[in-house]
Amino acid sequence: MSILSVRQLHIMGKQNDIVKNLSLDVQEGEWFALVGQSGSGKSMTAMAICQLLAPNLQAKGEIWCGEKNLLTLSSSEIRKFRGKRLAYIFQDYQGSFTPFLTIGQHFDEYQRTHLNLSKKARRQQAVNALISVGLNEDIYGRYPFQLSGGQLQRVSISMALLLEPDILIADEPTTALDSVSSFKVLQLLSKLQKETGCAILFITHDLRHVRKYADRIAVMKDGAIIETGDKNRVLNHPQHAYTNELIQSSPSLRRIPFKLEGVSG
Amino acid sequence: MELVIKGKSKRRWRMTVLFTVMATILAVAAYTFLIVKHDPALVNLEERLWPASMEHPLGTDHLGRDVLTRLLLGAQLTVGYGLLSLFAAVIIGVPFGMIAGFKGGLIDRIFMRIADAFLAFPDTIVAIVLSGLLGPGIENLLLAIVLVKWVNYARLVRSTVITERQKEYVTVAKINGLSSFGIMRKHLFPHLIGNVLVLSSLDLGKIILLISSLSYIGLGAQPPAPEWGAMLNDARPYFQSNMLLMIYPGLAIVFVVLLTNMLGDYLRDAFDVKKEVGS
Repeated sequence: MSILSVRQLHIMGKQNDIVKNLSLDVQEGEWFALVGQSGSGKSMTAMAICQLLAPNLQAKGEIWCGEKNLLTLSSSEIRKFRGKRLAYIFQDYQGSFTPFLTIGQHFDEYQRTHLNLSKKARRQQAVNALISVGLNEDIYGRYPFQLSGGQLQRVSISMALLLEPDILIADEPTTALDSVSSFKVLQLLSKLQKETGCAILFITHDLRHVRKYADRIAVMKDGAIIETGDKNRVLNHPQHAYTNELIQSSPSLRRIPFKLEGVSG
Repeated sequence: MELVIKGKSKRRWRMTVLFTVMATILAVAAYTFLIVKHDPALVNLEERLWPASMEHPLGTDHLGRDVLTRLLLGAQLTVGYGLLSLFAAVIIGVPFGMIAGFKGGLIDRIFMRIADAFLAFPDTIVAIVLSGLLGPGIENLLLAIVLVKWVNYARLVRSTVITERQKEYVTVAKINGLSSFGIMRKHLFPHLIGNVLVLSSLDLGKIILLISSLSYIGLGAQPPAPEWGAMLNDARPYFQSNMLLMIYPGLAIVFVVLLTNMLGDYLRDAFDVKKEVGS
């Protein structure tokens, strides 16, 4: 069963169309990777799903999540959706937290918006969530600037998965991290996905990130999806020339052993 | 390294003095009824223009009223009215600017055109015109000051909110399902407190000057109210014979305005995160 299905999505700016005729389905519990280079409209699609497009952009089409078309919901209806059934992780972990609020206050506010729990229960739930992503309890009282990038990204993952959403949109969550941290974050996401069973819409420009974890891959170019399919099919037998180019540009994914041009010539 | 520490302790020392003096003035203004022995409005023509004595430490004015009593009660009036109008201006301006900045679009444009209309005229002119239209009196003067000053806060808050609302944490808060009001209160408001405090403490001096100067030309506090500006005006005809009558309230105004400015500077430095990190 598909948990999120986007039908003929158009996103129009003032001059040009940013996303054209985009359709995709994310199945329950799968890791769906949306791959494409910068400016291909990946993040815009994600923003349209959350109804967070800038006011000068317009989205047309249908975005079904359960029985609801997200594009037709009123702002108070979409608010109930966001956070509870739809979660989001950003690339910019530093900017994702309000500088004067502690991690605990971030949690608390989020919990109070959606849940009806006592103060103690809220704290316990938040601490459990922190522990589940491999952080210490004392992170709860810290301020965002006291944490490292990897820690912050873990906190945002734990917060995003706190209410067990149906789908988690991860917008290049590892781009701003160093390779070790990003490896850990990906591993953690995959582990938590198995535990909670939520679907992940993983947006990235780097095929290396999806090789190991993704179930299905969609390749985007200039606002349209040019190829969708099972991970192995797309990576090993790309149908489209552009996909092939993308694969060639990720060194560790080259099927031919690495050769220096001048030597092989 | 030594220099840095020295600079910091010097600042702390200055801060202590500043706050002590401020607190003393506020305490004196609040508890004048304990200190004051004379009726500030009681006219006693037999004692007019007396020099300083044990009974009247600063002498008496042209109607035989005790100058020290009037000066102390004047602190209550001048500083009290200043704080009152400042508070009203902040209360109106901050939410106004927040909503305009956060909502953007049409609401913002309408709000800001209103603000521009107020901003088009200099403070003093608006205050004079309003006092002239509504009749002289301290209430109308305060109304005029609030009308003139709230715009500053609305604009300051709006510009801060506009830069902040584009940051990712606001988007994250939205995605987490928070209401606009919740975002403004919890995530944006803390950003504003510092700026608003600094601006308002610098404004307090200007407002006190405005109240006093308009009272001096007879548009603010009316006699026999012991407002400092009004006292200056009362003493004007006796400038040559009893110069001190003008000097006391004048000094009081200078002193309080200077203090509020120092407080403003101090707050500005205290909220300047970059400076704090650098030193």
